[in-house]
This record gives sequence, structure tokens and C-alpha cells, in this order.
Amino acid sequence: MTKKIFKSIMIVASTVLIASLAIIMGCLYRYFSDIQEKQLEDELSLAVIAVEKDGRNYLKELQSNQYRLTWVAENGDVIYDTQSDGESMENHADREEIQEALQNKEGKSSRYSTTLLEKTIYCARRLDDGSVLRISVSSVTIWVLILGMIQPILIVVVVTLILSVVLASRISKHIMEPLNSLDLEKPLENDTYEELAPLLNRINKQHKQIDMQLSELRRKNDEFAQITYGMTEGLVLLNEKNVILNINPAALKLFHTDPSCKGKDFLTVERSREVSRAIQEAFSSGHSEIRMECEGKEYQLHINRIESNGAVMGAVLFTFDITEAAFAERNRREFTANVSHELKTPLQSIMGSAELMENGLVKPEDMTRFVGHIRTEAERLVILIDDIIRLSRLDEGCDMPFEIIDLYEIATDVVMRLTDLAAAKNIKITVTGEKLKIKSVRQLLAEILFNLCDNAIKYNKDGGRVEVSINRQGKSAVISVKDSGIGIPPEHQARIFERFYRVDKSRSKDSGGTGLGLSIVKHAVQYLNGKIDLQSSPGKGTEIKCYLLFDRHY
Amino acid sequence: MRSHFDEQLAELHNELTQMGAMCEEAIAVASKALALGNAKLTDRVLSLDGEINRMERTIETLCLKLLLQQQPVARDLRQISAALKMITDMERIGTQAADIAEIITFLDGRTGEECEQIRFMAETAGQMVTESIDAFVKQDVILAGTAIDRDDVVDDLFLQAKSSLIRLIEEKPADGGYALDLLMIAKYFERIGDHAVNIAKWVVFSVTGMHKGKQI
Repeated sequence: MTKKIFKSIMIVASTVLIASLAIIMGCLYRYFSDIQEKQLEDELSLAVIAVEKDGRNYLKELQSNQYRLTWVAENGDVIYDTQSDGESMENHADREEIQEALQNKEGKSSRYSTTLLEKTIYCARRLDDGSVLRISVSSVTIWVLILGMIQPILIVVVVTLILSVVLASRISKHIMEPLNSLDLEKPLENDTYEELAPLLNRINKQHKQIDMQLSELRRKNDEFAQITYGMTEGLVLLNEKNVILNINPAALKLFHTDPSCKGKDFLTVERSREVSRAIQEAFSSGHSEIRMECEGKEYQLHINRIESNGAVMGAVLFTFDITEAAFAERNRREFTANVSHELKTPLQSIMGSAELMENGLVKPEDMTRFVGHIRTEAERLVILIDDIIRLSRLDEGCDMPFEIIDLYEIATDVVMRLTDLAAAKNIKITVTGEKLKIKSVRQLLAEILFNLCDNAIKYNKDGGRVEVSINRQGKSAVISVKDSGIGIPPEHQARIFERFYRVDKSRSKDSGGTGLGLSIVKHAVQYLNGKIDLQSSPGKGTEIKCYLLFDRHY
Repeated sequence: MRSHFDEQLAELHNELTQMGAMCEEAIAVASKALALGNAKLTDRVLSLDGEINRMERTIETLCLKLLLQQQPVARDLRQISAALKMITDMERIGTQAADIAEIITFLDGRTGEECEQIRFMAETAGQMVTESIDAFVKQDVILAGTAIDRDDVVDDLFLQAKSSLIRLIEEKPADGGYALDLLMIAKYFERIGDHAVNIAKWVVFSVTGMHKGKQI
């Protein structure tokens, strides 16, 4: 800015200087040369009169340094010259002013010296005798004048330079100061010169636009953060160079890192080769999936390539906690294996007996025993299948009729059904408690009580006791079945409700259980929105309590 | 020019991280093979060892290329020279994991449960390698210090393992060969710990310029 202003000032100043110099010099020079010419003519007239009167003597006596007088004869020979020897001078007939004077009585001319430093003006007049008298004066040319003025001109130029530098910087400062002190946040509140108003208006407009875009962006960012922040699934955004762009808290926790990992290579967060390979695969083929284990939990990683206009922009990595799903899957697999095994065992036994009979290897007196064996095994099979059907019905959660039932009544019913079994093992079974009415499913309650009591008898000592009690505790009805049996070791307590789970695998055959009883109890109680509590110590006995809410069904 | 160099340095960092991950996996698989007495897993350790060796060549070439072409100074030079040293240790870790795997095939499915220190050693050595690689990845001097300190644990465990194996030989002279195999495995784990310490020390060097407390 300063430079530009300086340049303009300099251009203006030098133009003015040169122009005024030219005009002044031109005018003055002409004026003075006119005066000089007139003087010359006057001098010449005087000299002509004098020469005509006195002839050569006048010229000889004339003492003038200013003018030079030359008397030239009609044929051009110099008769006399005031400044040099006339005889030795060359013939002047060809001189312009002489020729002119010879013809027109008067002649004029001016000639520059070879160096241009001097200009000589000649004036000639024909005398009456035909000779010509010429007067000449030398003066300096305009260039010499200018040359002589160079020093003052230079001084003026230097002064102009300094002045323009100072002025330029001051002007630019003056222009720029309000610009620099503009409050760009509030462009319209500035008090500056009016030339700036359009600019300020434009800035104001852009401000508004930027604000709008910014708030839009912030909103979108917030939305994204809100969504990803609350997600239980981990989310990692990678760019095409595998650098983390964004990572949500769930993923941070999974990969044991902190938010400072943004902008770093994903390898610094998770370097296991399976994951690296999966990411590479996603980058090359578009999608990949792997499972990974971390602190006893299982995660599934989905990696998808992000493309835009055919160019790979990066990848997005999702992690899902599939611990429970994997656990359920394992359970299902185990269940299927168990079911097939449990179904096969009695069938194998039936087949064995049948084969023996078919081949006539069974004595007639043993026949009843074998057929009886086949029958009991078949019965076992039926019970097992019944249990499985019941369980799957509970699993599916199909609707069962709710009615108002007396718990105490059901308990006594069930106990009645089991008295024979109990008597066979010398077990005393009692029902205590109050009559409690509850809205529930009769079949399920009977199932629960039957299975609990059945277990209590089966896994009891000879001459033991089983106490069934029905009580009210707060808002729940509590069915408690307590035995004085063998108890359940603590390490098994968490698993006994699983299907086909047996504490003592070798005893399963003798006790005749299917391994599904407690599983059915658990599912039935769950179906009725109840809770199960287990307390057991090996050798002393077990107490299982089922809490069923009243108000839920009333 | 500099940005290209930075890219190459990042590549070096990535390759080293990957090589470290391979070492971790090799130890983890070797430990698992020992714990399960599963000789099938040993093949994986051997193939990993091969990969680790190839990786060492790759990184070595990259380091030399960087040294020649970029003529790095100061921190860059430290990083590259530390990388050159670290890959040697990583390669040793891989080879020793492979050696352990080979010995496991001689154990006939026995898992060394007579000497429980070996299991701890495997765990601790693996942890040390993980910590030193983590320290490298995060350029974390404190974590490197943790890895270095943990070496004492492995050394102690080795001595304990030795005495319990001596007892085993005394009690069951017939198991002498088995006990010696276990001793070899223990020694290899102890060596792996030492290599992890070396790696951690080079991490400290590449960050601070100090190696074993001296400016070099």
C-alpha cells in the first residue's frame, strides 16, 4: 500500500516538475531571445549608420565584447571583423544571413555550435554601397540553462522523494489504521469512512452464512456424538491410511485406550494380527467379520469399507458384544448333544434287550424281567420326551390359563402323589404354612412343586425329611422346599438349573432323573415372573425357595 | 521431502508394531501349546517364527534404506537405530518361542504341571513382551520401566522352577529327561524375558536418547 501511494505521489510530483520546467523554460527562453533579437537589430541599425559614416574606423574603435561585427564586401570577402583578422577569414558569401541581406537588404539566421552549447544569432543588413554589415551575438542554449539548473532541480527531486515517502507512509497508515482496527465480529458497528461500508456489509453477510453453517455442522456433529456416545456397540472410523478419525467410548473401553488415539494408526490401538488382517481384507474386498476375545468376553467385529465416488475413503469398524449370544449358542449346542445322548441311552438298552429276545438267548423264566426292562426304559423315554416338550413349551412362552389357585392345596396334592416314593426311602414329607390364594397357572405350579419335592426325595438320605412350606413374605408368596439330603457343592450351584446338568454324572442312572427337573422349575418360575433362591450346603441339605408376586396377578 | 520421510518413519513404526504382535502371538501360542499339551499348535509357532524372520529382513532393509537415503539425525536417527536393534531381539523371541514349541513335541502331551512356575513364567514373559511392545507403540518410557522391572520376577521364577525340577528328578529319576525338557523351556522363557527387557531399553533410548542410563 505504502509503495503504491509513494509511486503515485512520485509520478504526480515528477510530472508537475517536468511540465512546469518545460513551460517556464520555453516561455522565458523565447521571451529573452526576442528581446535579444530586438537589441541586436537596434545595435545593427546604430552600427550601420556609424559604419556608413565612419567606415572602418568606427569598427576599429568599437570596443565591445558583447557583439561581434563583421563587415562583408559584396562579393563575400570579409572586410573587417571586430574579433579576428578579417583578411584571413574565408569568404562569407554563402552564409544564410548574408545572402538574405544581399537580396532583401536584411537577413537573419541562427546557428548552433557543434557542441550545441552555444547558439549564435546573426543579423545582417546591406549598406548603401552594397556591402553587408553583420552583427552576431552568442548566447547559451536552453540545454545549457537546464544543465546549470540541475543542482536545484536535484535538490527539489530529493525533497520530493523524502516528502512523498513520509506522505505515503502517513496516508497508508491513515487508510489502513481503521481497516486494521475493524471489529470483524460485529462489522456493522464500526465507525469508519463510508468507502468501507460495502465491504463491511459483505463481511456481515458472510458472517451470518458462516454462523449458520457452523451451527449446522455443530448440530450434526452433536447428533453423531450423541448417537455414538450412548451406543453399547463400539464404533471406530478409519481413514484410508488406517488412521483413527473417530472412536466412541464403547470402543475406547474395548481397546483399552483413551481419546488421544485419534489421529494415530489403528495398529497402535489394536495390533493383533487377526484384526489387522480383517481390516486389510475389508479394504480390499469391502467387508470382513471376525470374532475376538477380550477379558472373558466375546466380541464380533464388523468392518466395512467406505467408498465415495469409487474412491476408498476409509473403513468403519463395529464391535458387538456377543458374549451372551455365544453362551446361548454354546448352551444350545450342548443341549442338542445332551438330548440326543439322553434319548439314545434308553433306546440302546431297549434294543439290546430286544435283540437278546429275538435271538432266543433269553430263557422263558427271564422273559418277564426283560420285557419289564424294556417297559421301564420306554417309560423313561416317555418321561424324558414329556419333559423336553414341557420345556420347549415354556421356552416358546405360549399362553396358559391363569386362575385363582390355593397354593397349600396344590402342595398337599403333590405331596400325596409322592408319599409312596418317599415311603420307599423312609422319608418323612410334611406340608406346613397357610392357605394362600394366588392367580397363577395350575399346571406350572404343580410342575414346580412336583419337581422340587421329587428332587428333595431323590437326593435325600435314608430316613431323611422333606419340609414343604407355603408362606407370605411381603408382596410375595413363598414356596419353600427344604430337605435334609446330600446338598449341592457350591461350585455346582450356579449350573444346576441348566438343562441336563448333573452334579454327579455317574448317579444319574440310579436316581432315574432326566436332568431337566430344575430347568423346568426355573423356566416355570420365570414364566410366572417369580424368583428362585437356592441355599445348600453339602451333607446338610438344600432349601429352594420360589417367590411369586401376588399383586401381579390379582 | 520431509513428508515422504515422515511417511517412511510411520511405515517403519507400523511394521515394527506388526512384528511385535507376531512375537506376542508366538509366545501366546507356545504357552497355550504347553498348557494343553497340544503338539498341533506347535506348527503355528514354527510358521510364525518363519514370518517373524521374514519381517526382520523387511524392516532391516527399510532401516538401511532410510539411513542411506535420508541420512537422519537426532531423534530420527535414534528411532531407526533403535528399530534395528529391536528387530534382532524380536527375532530371537520368535526363534525361542519356536524352540519351546519344538520341545513341547517331545513332552508326549504332558503339560509340565509338576512345575507350576513354568506356567507363571510363560504368563509373565508374555506380559513383558506385550508391555515392551506397548511401550514402543505408545512411546511410553514408564511402561518400558515396568517391563524392565518385571524381569526380576521371571528370573526368580526360573530359580524356583530349577529347584522344583531338581526335586522332581530326585523323586522320580525316570522323569529325568522330561524334567530337563521343562528346564530348557523355563530357560527359554527366561531368555524371552531378557529380550523383552532389551526391547524396552531401546524404547527408552529412542525416546530419551539414554541407553542404560548413559547418553549415547
